[in-house]
Amino acid sequence: MKKHAIRKKAEPYLWMLPSLILMTVMIAIPIVTVFQLSLSEISRAGVIKGYNDFKNFKMIFASPTFWHTLQNTLVWTVAVVGFSTLIGFVIAMVLNQEFVGRKIVRAIVVFPWATSLIIQSVIWKYIINADYGSLNVILSKLGIIKKYINWTPDANAYFAWECWIGIFVTFPFVTFCVLSGLQSIDSTFYEAADIDGAGFWQKLRMITLPLLKPSLTVSTVLNIIYVFNSFPIIWTITKGDPADRTHTLATYLYKLSFYNGKSGQAAAVSVVGFAILCVCASVYMILSLRAEKEDQL
Amino acid sequence: MTKRKRKNIIKKFFLYLFVIVLCVIILYPYFVMFTTAAKDRSEMYALNMTILPVEWKWSNFIEIWSAAPVLRYFLNSVIVAGGATLVAILCGIPAAYAMSRMQFKGKSVFLGLVIMSQMFAPVVLLVGIYKLMTTMNLVNNLIGLILLNAAFNQAFAIWLLRGTFLSISSEMEQAAKVDGCGTIGSLIRVLIPMSAPGIVTTLIFVFINSWNEYTIALTLMSTDTLKPITVGINVFYGFNMIQWQYLFATSLFATVPVIILFLCIEKHLAAGLTAGGVKG
Repeated sequence: MKKHAIRKKAEPYLWMLPSLILMTVMIAIPIVTVFQLSLSEISRAGVIKGYNDFKNFKMIFASPTFWHTLQNTLVWTVAVVGFSTLIGFVIAMVLNQEFVGRKIVRAIVVFPWATSLIIQSVIWKYIINADYGSLNVILSKLGIIKKYINWTPDANAYFAWECWIGIFVTFPFVTFCVLSGLQSIDSTFYEAADIDGAGFWQKLRMITLPLLKPSLTVSTVLNIIYVFNSFPIIWTITKGDPADRTHTLATYLYKLSFYNGKSGQAAAVSVVGFAILCVCASVYMILSLRAEKEDQL
Repeated sequence: MTKRKRKNIIKKFFLYLFVIVLCVIILYPYFVMFTTAAKDRSEMYALNMTILPVEWKWSNFIEIWSAAPVLRYFLNSVIVAGGATLVAILCGIPAAYAMSRMQFKGKSVFLGLVIMSQMFAPVVLLVGIYKLMTTMNLVNNLIGLILLNAAFNQAFAIWLLRGTFLSISSEMEQAAKVDGCGTIGSLIRVLIPMSAPGIVTTLIFVFINSWNEYTIALTLMSTDTLKPITVGINVFYGFNMIQWQYLFATSLFATVPVIILFLCIEKHLAAGLTAGGVKG
């Protein structure tokens, strides 16, 4: 009888065992390793030579490139997630209308979401090339420009293009999250609002936005994590250059580790990245708990 | 009444204008990919560039297969994405089942950890992943890539599957158990067939994610014959000579099937992702 009880208690954990093992080995161990490496002296060959009194952190904090990278990461995350959410939301509102060809447009909006980031980035790299890029060719054939324009004169211009590509590949996710949210809104709400004489903006503010909050929260939270950690776009377009001016934390740590052989410092950059995401996560938790409390009042 | 009609027409006009501009912008890179893929190499750096190819060179789409081990790259991608999907679903279904049908200590902690694991994208763990793969002797090994892709898709798989399972009433399974089916029997004979749309969505989503994965593969796969297509296309991207036409022809082959697959699951996917969150 006792044996049976133990087996019954252990059963759910047995069901989860394969998943647990997979995630522990492939994710949890690398996490621990990253923390360990960030605190260790490492030879160029990758041999750990023991604890080094936060030297890796001191080194990266002393580097101006790191602080510029941190600033870039912030701009990148806020700009890409912000604009994607705004644009994605507007497009979802439009796609929620009845019009001829809606299904086709919906399908087209899926394209950037489904395409590999590396392929999307390579195409855009070709498009913005100053000498033979497609954008210059098309604009000059249309007579809009007379001479080819150098679209990427400096690091800021490169970074702006990278943000544009980021927005381009991110907004469809928002659109589809919002669309699925819109479909679950009961149309009687709007009918009642129409009878009360509510205008478009009133309906948007009082009905649509509050009811879309769960969908928008999911898409924003996931997008913040993805965009913050995004690597292929910037790596393809500039590799963080010119002069390390277009790095985000993801490309910076990759270069430190796999180009400059400084895996200790790269691990320290990773830890800083975790710390920032953890702060964001706790802010989110506090805000949502507070909102829950307000709802109960 | 006529005023209202006119207002409607103007509204429709702007709606269509918006939609057309939107489609043009989205399709523009794909148009560039397609037209450039069909251009002759001599046209790539010509002084008087044209939008469309002067002469459509369809043979590019055949030449790529012999210009580089492109077929091998595709095969590797199929193996990695297929393998990762299989592993992710085989681990994900039992976990999602336990989390939707059983009560146990630490359930919410585990769910929290699953969501937390999303915060650790492969790229920030690369230093650690590389070290782990070196000690396990899985650098330049397709199995290593399969396991990593499966692990990093585990959170989404569990999230989507749990949402699907929760949306299905457990009455049928209980009836099956009364009829003598064990837990595993009722899962395989009742719950899995009933959740087919959700499971297919998860399968395709994990497949596409692994197919499109770039960062881990770039870091781990240096042997040319083991590269998946996302890394392999770099062969056309040399230091002094970029073979844009081959690069884009290959990219087209890597993109079209994925977009078609994605279109099949788009509706279920968005609903599944947000539903998993609401029911959290």
